[in-house]
Amino acid sequence: MEREASELFEEFKELTASEFFRRNKQMLGFSGKIRSLTMVFHELITNSLDAAEEAGIQPEIKIDLKRVSKDHYILKHKDNGPGIPENFITKVYCTMFAGSKFRNIQSRGQQGLGCSGCVLLSQMTTGQPAKVVSGYKNGDKLKGVGMTFKMDVKKNQGLILKKKDVEVDSTGVALELQFKDVSYSLSEQGAYEYIRRTVIGNPHARIIFRDPTGHQYIFERATDEIPPLPKEVLPHPRGVTADDLIFMAKHTDKRRFRSLLGSSLSRMSNKRLNEIEEATGIDLNKRPKDMKWEEAEQIVNLFKEMDFMAPPTSGLIPIGKEQIEKGMKEILNPEFVATTTRKPKTYRGGVAFIIEAGIAYGGDSGRLVGDQKRAEIMRFANRVPLTFDQGSCAITDALKSIDWKRYGIKDLENTPVTVFVNIVSTNVPYLSTGKQSVAPEPEILHEVRQATMKIARSLQKYIKAKKAAKEEAMRSKVFESYVPVVLKEAALISGRNVPEYDEVLAKVTRREKFSKFTSEVQNE
Amino acid sequence: MNKKELNLNKLKGLGDTILDDVEKNRVPSIKVPSRGTSNIVYDEDKRYYVLGDRYGKRSLGNVKQIKKMAQMMSMANFCKGLVETQKTATIREMYYVSEGWDVDFSDQQESNLISEDLEVTLRTTREDLGLMPEEDGAAVYGDLTVKDDDFEINALKSGKSGYSIPPTIDDVEFLDHKVDRVIAVETMGMFHRMVQEKAYKKFNCLIVGLKGQAARATRRFLKRTNEELGLPVYICNDGDPWGFHIAMVIISGSAKLAHVNHELATPNAKFLGVTASDIINYDLPTDKLKDIDVLRLKELYKDPRYHEDFWKVEIKKMLKIGKKAEQQSFSKYGLEYVVEKYLPEKLEAIEGN
Repeated sequence: MEREASELFEEFKELTASEFFRRNKQMLGFSGKIRSLTMVFHELITNSLDAAEEAGIQPEIKIDLKRVSKDHYILKHKDNGPGIPENFITKVYCTMFAGSKFRNIQSRGQQGLGCSGCVLLSQMTTGQPAKVVSGYKNGDKLKGVGMTFKMDVKKNQGLILKKKDVEVDSTGVALELQFKDVSYSLSEQGAYEYIRRTVIGNPHARIIFRDPTGHQYIFERATDEIPPLPKEVLPHPRGVTADDLIFMAKHTDKRRFRSLLGSSLSRMSNKRLNEIEEATGIDLNKRPKDMKWEEAEQIVNLFKEMDFMAPPTSGLIPIGKEQIEKGMKEILNPEFVATTTRKPKTYRGGVAFIIEAGIAYGGDSGRLVGDQKRAEIMRFANRVPLTFDQGSCAITDALKSIDWKRYGIKDLENTPVTVFVNIVSTNVPYLSTGKQSVAPEPEILHEVRQATMKIARSLQKYIKAKKAAKEEAMRSKVFESYVPVVLKEAALISGRNVPEYDEVLAKVTRREKFSKFTSEVQNE
Repeated sequence: MNKKELNLNKLKGLGDTILDDVEKNRVPSIKVPSRGTSNIVYDEDKRYYVLGDRYGKRSLGNVKQIKKMAQMMSMANFCKGLVETQKTATIREMYYVSEGWDVDFSDQQESNLISEDLEVTLRTTREDLGLMPEEDGAAVYGDLTVKDDDFEINALKSGKSGYSIPPTIDDVEFLDHKVDRVIAVETMGMFHRMVQEKAYKKFNCLIVGLKGQAARATRRFLKRTNEELGLPVYICNDGDPWGFHIAMVIISGSAKLAHVNHELATPNAKFLGVTASDIINYDLPTDKLKDIDVLRLKELYKDPRYHEDFWKVEIKKMLKIGKKAEQQSFSKYGLEYVVEKYLPEKLEAIEGN
């Protein structure tokens, strides 16, 4: 039986973002019990760090995870950031795609899903509302507000259940959420490891974590320097699509094509604009809103053939080799650390990135598997630990492609080392929406290799020197233990006294350093 | 100067070189003649292997050599005690004693090598330093009277298994004998066959049961019967490369012990059989040569000790027929055959010339 179109479209509904993610929570990274909890930690910690840094505050986060029953937890998360003004609280926590990060800027999070995603997961698994206490400056006054609210998924907005003013002694947000179907784990993918790595990548942060057994971990900050805020940079012509150009044209206040392109893209000089006009024949004095799709496409294709300066790198703020070293020393207590921050490079011709790497050896470096120390690879993107999808990540690929034997490491897997790699970019090329692995862009692979090989060389020198010192000590010990034996026995054989031999002993121990094989060694 | 004093002096000299150097603030070293294959040469005149002139230095200042030096000095001191008290210890016993020293050995093999270093350095034998091998020497049957400690022993009256050659054979004195020759055989089976068939009477000889590769003491014994008593020595082994070589080590010494071959080799000893020609002439029951036998025969062919035409011919012949035979294979013609027929014919052939 045929049905009419109007009948069919009765079932056609518009999904809000919240409704969509309620049905597809794995797209927020909430898949699997351990991973779900780690993603919650990730979203909340990331937001707290960003907020504190933007306000110029040294971040301090207190996390308390209580276990109610199997797979059921209460999470309390408190930061010392600038707080959230009362009327923005439900926007931050209940509206998907709300936020201040939709710009071409280096940042930890990017999609604006984070906090509201956590509230959504909490509500979906427990039905419990979220509780927030926010302390913030209102003019000169410190204001505090406590709120209990739910998310109205259909409307993609908050539903306030309770609200009252509270006394606070500092700015910051304290959030309480309940979760079921999640699980706390000490594994490499678990929440604890996520915090540990966060502190290494963010040595200016202090995190206090009480785990479900009641044990309190204090991760002290290794530096007092708050990293400078990344600046927004104009997109590079090589990094834009035709759709981007049309979007810019629609939302601009410029009156001409020419001024639109010149002011919205980086490295766009008058000379280049003239080249575009000449090559495409498009009248750049047209009004932006008259830009046709075909024209945008034509321009973007031309960009690919034109010579541009590399994109500006002022927007990239690396952690810095000194800070990475401090972070690794604080957390890993290693025998040896080497770190490096490479110069900015670009991938796909127009996206700038920086690779930083560190290697720690000995101490608490490496991962304890059974009673054996294994190598540990810590991947970061804009300071955020990437703990999942290690196998498909460009960073892992690059590290595995290095011939570690050349650096005195016979078997990377079974060496007590921690390798740290951070990629800094306004646009990290992730492989999937979970944002846990970096795409294998050739330039990125190359940079990771170069950075790691440089620090591996330093490690090799250290291991060599250590081995040489050990051999030297062993050699001296050999002489100190056998010279007296030879002389005692010789004296007994000859029936004479043991002569004074200090000088001879000094001679042989010293001589050994300069010429190892002074006399012919005969085989038996 | 008797042997005891001579060896004590050699030991003392070793200690003195080291102490003298140290007193002059010099780093002492010991010259150890090299026992590497490149330093072992066949002496055509003496008809056995001797050490060449090359030597290595063990220096107190070399981290790889000082432990060996300490081991050598400790062992030398232990041997000094043995020589002074006229006692002996087996090399196995010494290995256990060494556990109480300031420097030890990782295994018996390491300790054995040091003992060989010591004998080559001092140009003496380890037996003279009181060190004995673990195993006893061969059995001797026949009319020979020896003085072993304070006992007089006649090898004809020592039971069916005869007189056992002790490791300290050098301390045994030959008192008297009524024989014309010595016949050594590879296996104890053959030894007993010859005793039962009264070969000692028939050939007026000493029968020596080698028990395979001849021990140092056995070789020393054979050399003494040849050189002290002037008796011809004959060897009768299995007809295969291994039997050939047991005989050859008695005649020309081993490469490994080149440094003491002058004490052990009996260049006048003669190989009686079983030869490849015997296998053909007596139509003996045979086994096929295995790959390893063929390989060994080819090695022997190139060995300078086998330079005589006799050996060249026999080795080639055995390779050609591709067969080997045991001593006992003569039993095909009856148990007595070997003594009644084979040995008389072979002896006549050799002595008749």
